[in-house]
Amino acid sequence: MLGQFLYGVKYVLGLDKAGRNLRVYPDDTFVVSYPKSGNTWSRFLIANLSNPGEPATFANINRLIPDPEALSKRSLKKLPRPRILKSHEAFDPRYKKVIYIVRDPRDVVLSEYHFDIKRQLIPEGTPVEERVKLFLEGGTCPYGSWGENVASWLYAREHNPRFLLVRYEDLEADTTRELARLAAFLGIEPTPERLTSAVERSTADQMRKLEKAQAHLWSSTKETRKDKPFVRAAKSGGWRKELPESSLSEIESAWGPLMKKLGYELYVQKSVTAGVEVLDK
Amino acid sequence: MISQLKYLAKFVLGLDRAERNLTVFPDDTFVVSYPKSGNTWTRFLIANLAYPKEKVDFTTINRLIADPALASKRFLKSLPRPRILKSHEPFDPRYKHVVFIVRDPRDVALSEYHFEVKRKHVDEATPIDHYVSRFVGGETGPYGSWGENVGSWVAARQNNPRFLLLRYEDMLEAPERELAKVAIFLGFEPDPQRLAHAVDESSADRMRKLEQAQADHWSATKNTRKDIPFVRAAKSGGWKTGMPPSSVALIESAWAPLMTLLGYKLSARSPDETSVPGWARVEARTG
Repeated sequence: MLGQFLYGVKYVLGLDKAGRNLRVYPDDTFVVSYPKSGNTWSRFLIANLSNPGEPATFANINRLIPDPEALSKRSLKKLPRPRILKSHEAFDPRYKKVIYIVRDPRDVVLSEYHFDIKRQLIPEGTPVEERVKLFLEGGTCPYGSWGENVASWLYAREHNPRFLLVRYEDLEADTTRELARLAAFLGIEPTPERLTSAVERSTADQMRKLEKAQAHLWSSTKETRKDKPFVRAAKSGGWRKELPESSLSEIESAWGPLMKKLGYELYVQKSVTAGVEVLDK
Repeated sequence: MISQLKYLAKFVLGLDRAERNLTVFPDDTFVVSYPKSGNTWTRFLIANLAYPKEKVDFTTINRLIADPALASKRFLKSLPRPRILKSHEPFDPRYKHVVFIVRDPRDVALSEYHFEVKRKHVDEATPIDHYVSRFVGGETGPYGSWGENVGSWVAARQNNPRFLLLRYEDMLEAPERELAKVAIFLGFEPDPQRLAHAVDESSADRMRKLEQAQADHWSATKNTRKDIPFVRAAKSGGWKTGMPPSSVALIESAWAPLMTLLGYKLSARSPDETSVPGWARVEARTG
């Protein structure tokens, strides 16, 4: 009762975390992805692109591209508009302008596994196969399974001109080219200087330096193991070495059609006929 | 500030509407659809099937198959479990056991238009084609466009054994056959007598009679025009005579692949752009 009362007071004063009760404005842009799919890197890139006067750091990123899960309703309301916000939510019809970042689920599960060890949510030495099984059921986070989250956005919005799909792997392969697409989508003149500067300010090396100095200042790294970095490999394809074939087979049989549609070549299952493909006939 | 304090009191007592803050239990079942897609009829069918001792009508339906968009958190918490709840939300990962009802969007748009005139949200003189263009843009309600709502659920869950997809049109054609699917999905014996009884108790005629007597006691019909019924045609294909061809073409060009997937035949040959599967275009760009 007391807890409810305190929460109620916070609620009325707008000091509770916004989360799903975020008030959306028509001029908001959302940077959406499943967790561990390059969202933080994209936030740095976009912040450095749209706001070159103030280099993005872990100390200011929650203000530059705020996370409704980490901020109160009141502080979100105070932000200058138009806002660019971060989200991991599955399809939300209130988000009208969306940059959706997608990453190979075989790398996502691995990245999440390491992050959850860093956050001490699972003990070091947890078999990765166990995590993969839970990951497939959507049991490792509140945003649905990878397939549910990605498919819900893709099939609701893929033909919508206010939806931009970006693959983490493309962002890694040619950051400047992909950032130019983001700039065009956001209505920012993609001059070479501006793109280059944003890319340089957001490199994995630069972010690692910032993390060392500021890990205690940022919601996602505060109170986590400091011997494990947040900015880890920053590469794609780690699954080739770290995931056993049985796990690859499970992932690919669950989401093969969706992975193929996104251009992620299947390793175990070369031919898939069932699944989401039906939607596209 | 006064209204905020009132809200505080409601919040603490759990009397505020649950809506998106509904506490979902793992044994909940959700009867989900886009609005005007047969949700109320399905609620009657399921309530008659699942609670044969209850009198199912417009005064009890909000208790038997409650609507979190209307009911308070406290009320929803007090319901016996496992609960069967109603929803119009697009994909929500917290809903694990879902009966999803889909209806031809051309009929949905028409039904919604008439309902909005009944609710006085739309003026009677509004041309249907104006309404349809807003409908296609998802501007007529808070649940996304028809294509977004249906697409998000079907894409996220179509291969999940805890997701049952029903077409309103199939229910009209063979209600007992379709209700048997629901019975099995909910873990009931699909006893033919029980199914027939539930279908009879939920017929359009019976629902019309109940509506006449109870319209003032039900959330969706209270304070609406009584000269326009809630239980309207209860048929499919009304769009063929009730909708201008330009509106039909607009709907079909917006959602052709999804409509085709669901077995809704397109009346017009759609332009090439929309008949190309979406993923093929994505592949062409990324690959």
